[in-house]
Amino acid sequence: MATVFVLIVTITLITSLFISEGAVKHIIAQIKEKIDISVYVKPETTSETMEKIKDKLVELPEVQAVSIVSKEDAMEQFRERHENDPVLLESLEIVGTNPFYASLNIRANDPEQYAAILEVLNNSSLDDIIYKVDYVEKKTVIEKLSGFISNVNTGGLLLALALGVVAVLVAFNTIRVAIYDASKEISIMRLVGAPNRFIRGPFIVQGMIAGAIAALASFLILLLLSYSLADKISSLTNGFNVFAWFGTRAFVLFFIQLASGIALGVISSLIAIRKYLTA
Amino acid sequence: MIIFENISKVYKPDTVALKNVSFQIGISGNEFVSIVGKSGAGKTTLIKLLLREEEPTGGRIIYGGKNIAEIKNKELPLFRQKIGCVFQDYRLLPNKTVFENVAYAMEVMGATDYEILRDVPRLLEIVGLQDRARNFPLGLSGGEKQRTAIARALAIRPEVIIADEPTGNLDPYHTRDIINLLEKICELGTTVILSTHDKAIINSLEKRVVTLDNGELIRDEEKGRFIL
Repeated sequence: MATVFVLIVTITLITSLFISEGAVKHIIAQIKEKIDISVYVKPETTSETMEKIKDKLVELPEVQAVSIVSKEDAMEQFRERHENDPVLLESLEIVGTNPFYASLNIRANDPEQYAAILEVLNNSSLDDIIYKVDYVEKKTVIEKLSGFISNVNTGGLLLALALGVVAVLVAFNTIRVAIYDASKEISIMRLVGAPNRFIRGPFIVQGMIAGAIAALASFLILLLLSYSLADKISSLTNGFNVFAWFGTRAFVLFFIQLASGIALGVISSLIAIRKYLTA
Repeated sequence: MIIFENISKVYKPDTVALKNVSFQIGISGNEFVSIVGKSGAGKTTLIKLLLREEEPTGGRIIYGGKNIAEIKNKELPLFRQKIGCVFQDYRLLPNKTVFENVAYAMEVMGATDYEILRDVPRLLEIVGLQDRARNFPLGLSGGEKQRTAIARALAIRPEVIIADEPTGNLDPYHTRDIINLLEKICELGTTVILSTHDKAIINSLEKRVVTLDNGELIRDEEKGRFIL
């Protein structure tokens, strides 16, 4: 019973690490979505020229998406952003004309690729069209975010490894104690002349059954938790739907849980019983 | 033939359990040998060495012409299947019934289900436990547990039965019962090695007695008596 309980905790913990990775990936994707650079073009640039530049930029392997923001769009966005600031909106009225520049908003596949995109822009023949690129202003933020994402990935991996190792060791130790309890029984089996495979057999089967039961229980617990906590997790992670994530991977997750549960049960049993089988 | 040849056993750091013990026991006939001595005389150590649960510090034990120290670990189960064991603490598998405990010994020898269903009831009849087949050890008296252990020892059709203080936990009535059973088994052709410090049993048996004292063999006589 104790073995099954510890295996449930272990398998649930390891699966939770997978789920956490999914949540972190979602958050990182959300952050990446918000990072872009804007290439402002001179006022006389026509929309056809901008379309051509866009087509060229989209072909770059580093570029994920390019969108065109016209002068009018820029002003509209400004109004929307500052709709609660009448002074700013009034000053816009006082200016009388549209002071904004049209721009191309570029989103890279990875925040670290903006420098490469900028390099391409600098080496192109677009100098007479480009008014300004806001990369320099955003550079610090982009670099900080890139560093944060990299740290989260590395830290998450290390944490997952450490927790995984701890969980496996706890499970192994519990099984070892369970087999220690049966050591007298094992010595009787040996006295009767039972070959090692004969003694090992029941413990391996027990390990398999404990692992399979634990995997099933863990799967049901996580399914229930992901359903009941979906809203809370979604609000904490900016929209990560844990239940949907779980649902799309249910079969694979259950298979991994079952395989790891059985492997953990069997391997721990084999290692723990070994010392009682030496003549 | 079992030959104990100058057997010594010293437990670290310096506890001497056996000192140059030499004697022989026949396994082809129906020999009944009692090994007697006070507690700590070395009786149990001698049995552990014979079962190769432990290695002697000096000397060698020859069983059926083979030095048991040379038996490979993987061949040890096969060797132990030649020897049936009965202990003071019964050593029954607690989660198996009387029937299953006896059947287990046959299973490890590779007996078929047919053989098990045929032989186990017979064995339980020999030891008088036919009505207790479905009971677990926890629900048995001391005498019944010991009879189960004897049935299990017989199940492997051993050449030798070793009984280490088999009556140590039993009242006089069950003690006599178990000794009678061991005598019956011996008469049917199995060598019995009885280790005990029960004077009354030894003196009533009138069989061979090997006496150990402080790890030394001090007497080996046919129709011996308990002299300590």
